[in-house]
Amino acid sequence: MDMVVCIKQVPETTDIGWDPQTGSLIREGVPGILNPNDKNALEAALDLREKHGGLITALSMGPPQAEEALREALSMGIDRGILLSDSLFAGADTLSTSYTLGLALEKIARFDLILCGKESSDGMTAQVGPQLAELLNLPQLTCAIEITVNRSAVKIKQKLEDGFRILETCLPALITVEREINRPRIPAMDSIIEAYRDKKVQVWAGADIGCHTEHLGLKGSPTRSRKVYRKKVKRGEVTILEGEPDEAAKELIQILKQKGLL
Amino acid sequence: MDFTLSGESKMMVKAARDFAEQEIEPTVATVEKEDALPDDLLQKFAKARMLGMMVPKEYGGIGSTTVNVVLILEELAKTGSAAAFLMAFCNSVAETIYHWGSEDLRKRFLPPLCDGTNYPAMAFTEPGTGSDPTAITTTATPDGDHYVLNGTKRFVTHGHKKGYGVFYAKDETERITAFMVDKGSEGYTWSKPWALMGLAGQGLVDVFLKDVRAPKEDILGEKGKGFYILLRWIAGERVQQMAFMVGMGQACLDESLRYAKERMVRGRALTAMQGFQWMLADLHASIEACRWWTYRVAAKQDEGGDIEVDSAALKLFVVPTIQEVARKALQIHGSYGYCRDYKIERLYRTIAHAGVTAGSTEIQKTIVGSALARSKGI
Ligand SMILES: Cc1cc2nc3c(=O)[nH]c(=O)nc-3n(C[C@H](O)[C@H](O)[C@H](O)COP(=O)(O)OP(=O)(O)OC[C@H]3O[C@@H](n4cnc5c(N)ncnc54)[C@H](O)[C@@H]3O)c2cc1C
Ligand SMILES: Cc1cc2nc3c(=O)[nH]c(=O)nc-3n(C[C@H](O)[C@H](O)[C@H](O)COP(=O)(O)OP(=O)(O)OC[C@H]3O[C@@H](n4cnc5c(N)ncnc54)[C@H](O)[C@@H]3O)c2cc1C
Repeated sequence: MDMVVCIKQVPETTDIGWDPQTGSLIREGVPGILNPNDKNALEAALDLREKHGGLITALSMGPPQAEEALREALSMGIDRGILLSDSLFAGADTLSTSYTLGLALEKIARFDLILCGKESSDGMTAQVGPQLAELLNLPQLTCAIEITVNRSAVKIKQKLEDGFRILETCLPALITVEREINRPRIPAMDSIIEAYRDKKVQVWAGADIGCHTEHLGLKGSPTRSRKVYRKKVKRGEVTILEGEPDEAAKELIQILKQKGLL
Repeated sequence: MDFTLSGESKMMVKAARDFAEQEIEPTVATVEKEDALPDDLLQKFAKARMLGMMVPKEYGGIGSTTVNVVLILEELAKTGSAAAFLMAFCNSVAETIYHWGSEDLRKRFLPPLCDGTNYPAMAFTEPGTGSDPTAITTTATPDGDHYVLNGTKRFVTHGHKKGYGVFYAKDETERITAFMVDKGSEGYTWSKPWALMGLAGQGLVDVFLKDVRAPKEDILGEKGKGFYILLRWIAGERVQQMAFMVGMGQACLDESLRYAKERMVRGRALTAMQGFQWMLADLHASIEACRWWTYRVAAKQDEGGDIEVDSAALKLFVVPTIQEVARKALQIHGSYGYCRDYKIERLYRTIAHAGVTAGSTEIQKTIVGSALARSKGI
């Protein structure tokens, strides 16, 4: 069973600025890490490979340094990496990101399952997975916390706000996974050596995936950020409840009730 | 001169950090209480392929470098746990067996060290001597195709755990020979572990050898040349020990920074006061110096250089420097630094070990000083 896992490199901290003109995050100079949720997607793929075999490709769109995220995926045991990197892709919103990833997937052609994280830790839209499935005209199963494959059928346990749902579809399909689906493995040291010395990361530019430039990058992104601002945190007053603990606790309950918090 | 780490090394550091966070940090409190490392820790290290890293693949290792071992160790050491030491020890002993061992010895003893089946040991200290290994009294007497070992070894790390250890004894020619000894042999017994000031779980026992038999082919290196094996091993061990110190020193600074940013004195955080900023600056500068010198000596070992004197000089500098870092870090914490609930207290106790093991600081001075006296000038 061949799989493709879409992974994104995200800034290591959440404390970064925006470009006031475009509204996009200023990523230059901020160290990148593999989107934590995508590690779950990678682990899920590795787990499925242990049971069903197959080749796993990690696919990422990003600047040249996003190769690091792909090397990390290879260190975890993924077979090969593809980096979509071209200045044409810069400034892409989720639609344009999905379009570009979709073309790369069409070029890869051989896959039974696409795995994505549910959401990135920076953009957090949770749109790329579902959009990609639509573009490729594939069934999508989102927010998986369990995946089982049985011949050409795939079943997931989907996490809902107030419960679970079991969903099933046929392959090929796209699945997005939740953080709690698994605990991603820590790459073993020999696997890291292999990832850097023996495994390959191919770099594909726009021309390699035959795209229409009007759908790419900022140009192909209908989303416009109207305004980006940092929420002001208002510091409230501190009330100290004095006296006996019992009394203070009663008073606290009163206050919380008044505020409608209890 | 290139001071940048390769992508491979950086990824190893990251993996080691994750390992420390997920597999070591959560065990620390229990290890402190029970004075024993978790039984499954060695297997976890093996799975992460962190044991026998410098040993080539055909003997079960991964053919990596001292620099990478040192980088990983530094990360693990930030936990201040003896777990880091276990990893270091497996690597240094495996490297020693690889370096000196015959093909037969390498094939028999390295795979179980690299896959976490066996705990290593290195036994030279005795009740009567630690700094002068030539004064050891354990004897090895030939008997057919075996040697028979008798004597007491003191402070043997993991002397009570399954596997083979390298034991130093005087053979019939009164010269020191290194023997691979099965810790499960008849006549091999041990004391209960010593209660140490720090390094909980280190597992330091006295070992009693009563007519313990070791086959002649299990002599490590040449007969009568055990002393050189010991010296070379200690030199490598020192570099790893210093990486352990650097990691713990960094943890002292990290803890101090966290504390000083939050602790309010006269309405301001400690970090707002110049006196404390200066203290933090001193810690940082000290640790950086120790770190880069440690990397340098590790790199020299990878280049195949002799690090006997370099590692001694390194230790001479790093031990007092990091001990001073720990002292200042404790001071920054005020009385909380003296409380068991604070990590700095444990780091302080653990850091105290370094001047007296794997060659005391005074012995390092002797090594460096006599090398300088012999040399024709620098
Ligand atoms: C006007 C505008 C300009 C922008 N400019 C930039 C820019 O210059 N650079 C930039 O990095 N971002 C830019 N962004 C942000 C960009 O829209 C998102 O980073 C990207 O589309 C993914 O959306 P998300 O982070 O919400 O991912 P989600 O939809 O939350 O991610 C879900 C999953 O999709 C997959 N995925 C997401 N992104 C990728 C990817 N790039 N490669 C492979 N798999 C992926 C992963 O599996 C991930 O877990 C811009 C956004 C806007 C609105
Ligand atoms: C945590 C830990 C782990 C250990 N693990 C092992 C192990 O696995 N295997 C093992 O064999 N041992 C081990 N040891 C023992 C350790 O290596 C020895 O204790 C150490 O070598 C010092 O020996 P000693 O205690 O006998 O001190 P001594 O040799 O008695 O020294 C006492 C003092 O005299 C000084 N001194 C001695 N000789 C000289 C000299 N010539 N010139 C100047 N000063 C001198 C020393 O520096 C020291 O200050 C361990 C010890 C500890 C604490």
